[in-house]
Amino acid sequence: MLVTRRITLSENVAALQTENADHQVGDSVVTNEAIAALEIKDIHKRFGDLEVLRGISLTANDHDVISILGSSGSGKSTFLRCINLLETPTSGEVAVYGEMIKMKQGRNGPEAADKEQVQRIRSQLAMVFQQFNLWAHMTVLQNVMEAPLHVLKLSKADARERAEKYIERVGMIDRKDFYPSQLSGGQQQRVAIARALAMEPKALLFDEPTSALDPELVNEVLKVMRTLAEEGRTMLVVTHEMGFAREVSDRVIFLHQGRVEENGLPEQVFDAPKSQRFKDFLSGNLK
Amino acid sequence: MDFSPIIENLPLYFKGLWLTIELLVLSIIFGFVLALPVALAAVCNIGWLRGLAKGFIYVWRGTPLIIQMFMIYHGMAQFDFVRDSFLWAFFREAYWCALFAFALNTAAYTAEMLRGAIEQTSRGEIEAGKAAGMSTFTLYSRIILPSAFRRAIPAYGNEVIFMLHGTALAGVITLIDLFGAAKIVNSKHFIPFESFIAAGMFYLVLTFAVVWLFKKLEGHWLKHLKH
Repeated sequence: MLVTRRITLSENVAALQTENADHQVGDSVVTNEAIAALEIKDIHKRFGDLEVLRGISLTANDHDVISILGSSGSGKSTFLRCINLLETPTSGEVAVYGEMIKMKQGRNGPEAADKEQVQRIRSQLAMVFQQFNLWAHMTVLQNVMEAPLHVLKLSKADARERAEKYIERVGMIDRKDFYPSQLSGGQQQRVAIARALAMEPKALLFDEPTSALDPELVNEVLKVMRTLAEEGRTMLVVTHEMGFAREVSDRVIFLHQGRVEENGLPEQVFDAPKSQRFKDFLSGNLK
Repeated sequence: MDFSPIIENLPLYFKGLWLTIELLVLSIIFGFVLALPVALAAVCNIGWLRGLAKGFIYVWRGTPLIIQMFMIYHGMAQFDFVRDSFLWAFFREAYWCALFAFALNTAAYTAEMLRGAIEQTSRGEIEAGKAAGMSTFTLYSRIILPSAFRRAIPAYGNEVIFMLHGTALAGVITLIDLFGAAKIVNSKHFIPFESFIAAGMFYLVLTFAVVWLFKKLEGHWLKHLKH
């Protein structure tokens, strides 16, 4: 299943321009697939004098699993957080299934023009965080029911049914009445993934989902993420897990100092890296 | 020592006990209802509103309760516009003056406590709410406040005990609460030790009840912190 998907992707790969700035990203993609799941153009992000992102573009089609690599400080998390506007980009465009997030110039720089639009788009882009960020005062079940109930406005019965389905999916149903503090990191992260899935989002954003875990807990989380990739979910994964990036993703992007340094199929990128920095990064990582 | 006048006057003490409980419960309720908007104003991003809330907290925490009560009970009567207006029906009663002072005083302390608890809410939990598409209202009503209220429970228990003891000031302005009752018994029988220790006993029992209540509350609402 993965393999067939990869073949169609490699046919499209020429169209999947994600390099910096000057490419006319996306236009050609639209001709191949109806509308890109995520279309991000020329994102810049500045914190004071520090320019963290220096023009990053990326197009993700439906069912794409894209791994975003980079050493710390490369801007990869900031980039991911710009997509759902947890960080406000200094400039650039984000479109989710063809809907462009409207921005305006506020008193302290750019800001979202339409809060309700941002909330709606966020509810379609579920995020999984490095620190899990489960709501500590709620049980597993309550955590997973919360947003379907109070954001999607599902009925209590529907939200519960949906929550139990996804808690079951991540193998945590026997802990559904536990509080996050009673779970291991890996279990918390699986619940966080269930919480994201319960929104039935159009795409999933993973922000270093295994970086805060003890080594022996990493695999249970990666296993869940693999099954999600195999179901054909659209996923953007900021990660340090080279094995996952190589085996599971359809495309790998390497960021360095706020720019895309490498972008391509995993086998291309890993076996024949073009950039010296990525080679250095790999040798540092794979040692 | 002679405790027989105390036994004789038990009905008076119980009357006082009742008023103490009433003043405590009402000032805690009014105080909390007022504290919530003040705390929210103190963390909002509208500058003047935040300033107003912080000013309120500063003034009412920065002055002794007895001065606040005296200014309201004795001070208000000095102004003709108060005496000549509908406000007088309110400010001429020691009961309302005491309640007014107590409620505002505990509101300031409670608001400051809530402000702290709100600001301590884990940034990550707030981000998770935002990322799920929550509106600011949902974020506050579902994540920030439920989490902050729980965190504030132990400190709030302390505030309720302080307020319980604070209500004794009502006895200073003619009201017959526990302290007022003790004063009456003392002036009739000249047994200050017995009169006041009897009142003290009642306060101890009340404090115990408050402590017990908060232990129950913590057991229920802070379950998520137990391992």
